[in-house]
Amino acid sequence: MSDPMPNPRFAFAGHLTAIGSLVAGAGITLMPKDDLALATVIARKGQAGVLGERVQALFGIPLPARPKRAAAGKIAFIGTGPGQWLAIEESSGDPQSFAAKLATEFAGSGSVCDQSDGRAVIRVSGPRARHVLAKGLPVDLHPRAFGPGDAALSQIALISTLLWQIDEAPTYEIAVFRSMAGSFADWLIASGAEYGIAAMS
Amino acid sequence: MTPLPQSRRLASGGLIDRSRTLSFQFDGKPMTGHPGDTLASALIANGTILAGRSFKYHRPRGILTAGSEEPNALVELRSGARREPNTKATTVELFDGLVARSQNRWPSLGFDVMSVNSLLSPIFVAGFYYKTFMWPAAFWEKLYEPLIRRAAGLGRASREPDPDSYEKAFAFCDVLVIGGGPTGLMAALSAARAGAHVILCDEDFSFGGRLLSEQFVIDGQSGADWKAAAVFELEQNPAVTLMRRTTVFGGYDQSTYGALERVGDHLPVPLPHMPRQRLWKIVAKRAVLAAGAVERQIVFGGNDRPGVMMASALRSYVNRFAAAPAQRLGLFTNNDDGWKTVADCIRAGIKVEAVIDPRPAIPEAFRQLAIQAGARLFEGGLVQDAHGTARGLQSIDVMTSTGRTESVAVDGLAVSGGWNPAVALTCHLGARPVWRDDISAFVAGDTPPGLVVAGAATGAFDLRSCLADGVRLGAEAAQAAGFTAVAPTVPAASEETLGLMPLWKVTGARTKAFVDFQNDVTAKDIVIAEREGFRSVEHLKRYTTLGMATDQGKTANVNGLAIMAALTGRSIPETGTTTFRPPYTPVAIGAFAGHHRGKHFRPTRLTPSHAWAAEQGAQFVEAGQWLRAQWFPKPGETDWLTSVNREVIAVRGAVGVCDVSTLGKIDIQGADAGTLLDRVYINGFSALPVGKVRYGAMLREDGIVMDDGTTARLAQDRYVMSTTTANAAKVMQHLEFCHQVLWPELDVQMVSVTEQWAQFSIAGPRARDTIQKLIDPMADVSNMALPYMGVTTITVCGGIPGRLFRISFSGELAYELAVPARYGDGVIRAIMSAGAEYGIVAYGTEALGVMRIEKGHPAGNELNGTATARDLGLGKLMSQKKDFIGRVMAERSGLTNPDRPSLAGFVPVNRADRLRAGAHFLGLGAHPSASNDQGYMTSVAFSPSLSHWVGLGLIKNGPNRHGERVRAYDPVRRGDIEVEICSPVFIDPEGGRLRV
Repeated sequence: MSDPMPNPRFAFAGHLTAIGSLVAGAGITLMPKDDLALATVIARKGQAGVLGERVQALFGIPLPARPKRAAAGKIAFIGTGPGQWLAIEESSGDPQSFAAKLATEFAGSGSVCDQSDGRAVIRVSGPRARHVLAKGLPVDLHPRAFGPGDAALSQIALISTLLWQIDEAPTYEIAVFRSMAGSFADWLIASGAEYGIAAMS
Repeated sequence: MTPLPQSRRLASGGLIDRSRTLSFQFDGKPMTGHPGDTLASALIANGTILAGRSFKYHRPRGILTAGSEEPNALVELRSGARREPNTKATTVELFDGLVARSQNRWPSLGFDVMSVNSLLSPIFVAGFYYKTFMWPAAFWEKLYEPLIRRAAGLGRASREPDPDSYEKAFAFCDVLVIGGGPTGLMAALSAARAGAHVILCDEDFSFGGRLLSEQFVIDGQSGADWKAAAVFELEQNPAVTLMRRTTVFGGYDQSTYGALERVGDHLPVPLPHMPRQRLWKIVAKRAVLAAGAVERQIVFGGNDRPGVMMASALRSYVNRFAAAPAQRLGLFTNNDDGWKTVADCIRAGIKVEAVIDPRPAIPEAFRQLAIQAGARLFEGGLVQDAHGTARGLQSIDVMTSTGRTESVAVDGLAVSGGWNPAVALTCHLGARPVWRDDISAFVAGDTPPGLVVAGAATGAFDLRSCLADGVRLGAEAAQAAGFTAVAPTVPAASEETLGLMPLWKVTGARTKAFVDFQNDVTAKDIVIAEREGFRSVEHLKRYTTLGMATDQGKTANVNGLAIMAALTGRSIPETGTTTFRPPYTPVAIGAFAGHHRGKHFRPTRLTPSHAWAAEQGAQFVEAGQWLRAQWFPKPGETDWLTSVNREVIAVRGAVGVCDVSTLGKIDIQGADAGTLLDRVYINGFSALPVGKVRYGAMLREDGIVMDDGTTARLAQDRYVMSTTTANAAKVMQHLEFCHQVLWPELDVQMVSVTEQWAQFSIAGPRARDTIQKLIDPMADVSNMALPYMGVTTITVCGGIPGRLFRISFSGELAYELAVPARYGDGVIRAIMSAGAEYGIVAYGTEALGVMRIEKGHPAGNELNGTATARDLGLGKLMSQKKDFIGRVMAERSGLTNPDRPSLAGFVPVNRADRLRAGAHFLGLGAHPSASNDQGYMTSVAFSPSLSHWVGLGLIKNGPNRHGERVRAYDPVRRGDIEVEICSPVFIDPEGGRLRV
């Protein structure tokens, strides 16, 4: 083996382009979140309580029982269904090891599956973010209905999406199946074009 | 050509911006108008009263209304790819450079050859097509229909692709107010002041409704000034969304409304990145329908002549647009509201020649008004016929109260037959409107949950009631949405009376009297319908086409009903009503498609090696939503078969690689994972050792095969299942159903990992040599360490974690290597360079298909929804020791009959013959008939290994007929050849190559 390890190719590679002149304060900013480690965690039968205690003890995070995002430090858990969560580690240098670590920690109480490559996550922010998302997401994102810490499993442009809000800027992160990142980016760009799009890597 | 001056523009007044002039063209003639004009008002200001020709008789038609109910003034707007037929001139906002053409005329609007249809009108009456063009049948398609289509019809659609874009959007609010007239504005103010989030929609480009068109006074201000203040207040409120140019066209379940926003239609072309139209789905806790009312006509002879106009429309043109549709006007009204026209005409300097009011006695104030206008007053009179040409109206015949007929010279006639509340939206969930005798109109019956009707839409036509309704219902809606509302005081407005005497049709007309202008339905057509027995409303509609045009009979339906009621001696409510369906006004198909057109019709799924495959010049094929490499043409290869043969030969002779990431992959964990698999698969999995893979098939409840694939055991409590590409989602759904509904007691956790892994099949005699070069040193993948149907965890290319499955679809020594999807691109490149010295090829789905057919593996074509496991040669897999889904039903006698079509192989007796999938099997010499059908060919391929075509098929008692000859009969492609039944495994039947 003399060849160097191949470079990863991320899901949004080649699919994002900036559009229009960004008027000051307008537009949206897109940023692929390639540095996230993702893992699905499903409670074993009758073990949800034990799992919750493990998560609390390890990360200081109360496992949300609803579509909410609970975070502490680099770790977050998003409720995606009864007894199911998406666990996220920010700026993860080694995504596979996150799932492996969780699997060890949750042995007997939760089944863990690495999804770091299965989902592509993109961050959408800027004052026009709500206007753009309203063109595809059938969820009310008005601050009185949806705020930081809220999450929704839904569909945008016929693509299954898991969306959560990070802050009041507003900043959202959206996870889609990796293979549909290109189609999702096409929709984002078509929908955001009138406001101007900045794409960051 | 320089445009002529706007000869009919009033010297002052109107809500138009006279400081700016807009140029436009109608039928090639240059004209001018002002911002604030519609195309219709600009045409009137330019003295153009002829707007088009009618649908069937090519009658000259003018402008009847000033709104979206317009049946006559339909034009082709714009040109080239943007040409849009049947656009209502009354709703088109004038823009600089607008180009419009009249429709349905040849060679010109003034002189139209097809108006000969009018002379032939006896043969165009209702029911004529049904009765006349019945025979001979062959003439219908070739002769009658093309003729009729040329003679009748509306505009011409552009045949070019639509250059504009459309989008969809979602909105949420506490209170949706539909209609921005006085009622709607007041309701919005009332709800907004309570703190509710309000969306106010109006189809017009300006809010105000009738406030723009009448000389109203509210709280001592003009209606227009009051409106401006109201709109200003709403605009300042951040919780209010004002949507102009937005038609709420449909009401749907759970308080959801469909609305069309015309974002760029008032511009010559939409701005860059601006959609032309946006389709809104509005979810409202409460909705107030304040859509107003539509003025209705009176049916008399020549009532469709250019120059005849609704009285309210005439006032719109005079008051709002400062354009005079006539200079010597007649007014025909059966109600007080129509009399407003007289005062407005006096103010605008339009001469009122005569007022014809069928009521026997009218209020004294109106008599005085007629005197003031210098108009002849015909109390108890009727307009029987209007006479004119394409150039305009000339006179009207008035039947006086004493029975004399007098002719009055006029160049315009305003008509008011009363008002019909716009209740369409209350009917979209199935309710029907109900009749109210006191106003002689239909009003809302049951209203959908969460929707209230307000103002003129309820039949309260006077401004005072409208404002009061808005105040009250806006506050109630806010309250119902959870706000504390303090209803504002109702603004003061002058009193109005209706005083309507119903009059639907004048008897004794000598000329054609129209009910439905757009579909050219006359009063006589209704008489014919009645005579022929089509008396039910639904029959009347379909027999005469009354109300079936693009305007859905907004100005026609009630008159038509009333005429039928009179003919049958019933009341109008006894006669019935047709209900309304969405959309309220037509919506372009493009708006419903939104972003999803062309390649965006549905999402496309790309494989992890897609970018690499595209670099190789791969030919792609759609497999469900996936785009997969079908074959990889090499320079000089022009024929797909050449490429595919090369790929197959390379795999069988050396090594090849194929991206198989699209197959469904389901991670199954938990103490009872094996039990779940035992119950969904026909064969056992709980006893499968860790590190082993097994082929499995699963059945539907009815015993038919649902899917197949391999499942590997990664740990005592963990499996990974693979499914076919096509059934990935269905199988996941099936497993979740089984777990959640049938066996919730099982400790099982499942999740799809299809997208997590890039998976490559590396197949061929040199597969292990190739793999060996990629694997990080510590792993042993020798035949001993990793035998056929084994699985192991490895790292490749210097640390990429992966799984290596020793499984084969091609029948060769083969592996499937799975790596995290982000490394798919890098790893396919590494595989290609590792295999280069062995002559590795990339192969696509075609070669994959050829090799699986050569090996006799059933796939999608064989898993056709009728085949059982036995039919597919999988009978021996069906466990006798356990229960599984489909076991009982698979034992039904019909499903175990040996005569069922079962899997077999086929070769052409003449090896040069080509096989065709879909060909049916017949006994040699048997007559081709369904009763002689023995089954059909499901899959075929040219086998480069055998140098002839091979096929798989389902044929009666197939496994016991090897060696027998039958016909493969393919009448669609004129194929009828002799084939020999054989084993479905054409290559390496002992499977030796798999195990080396």
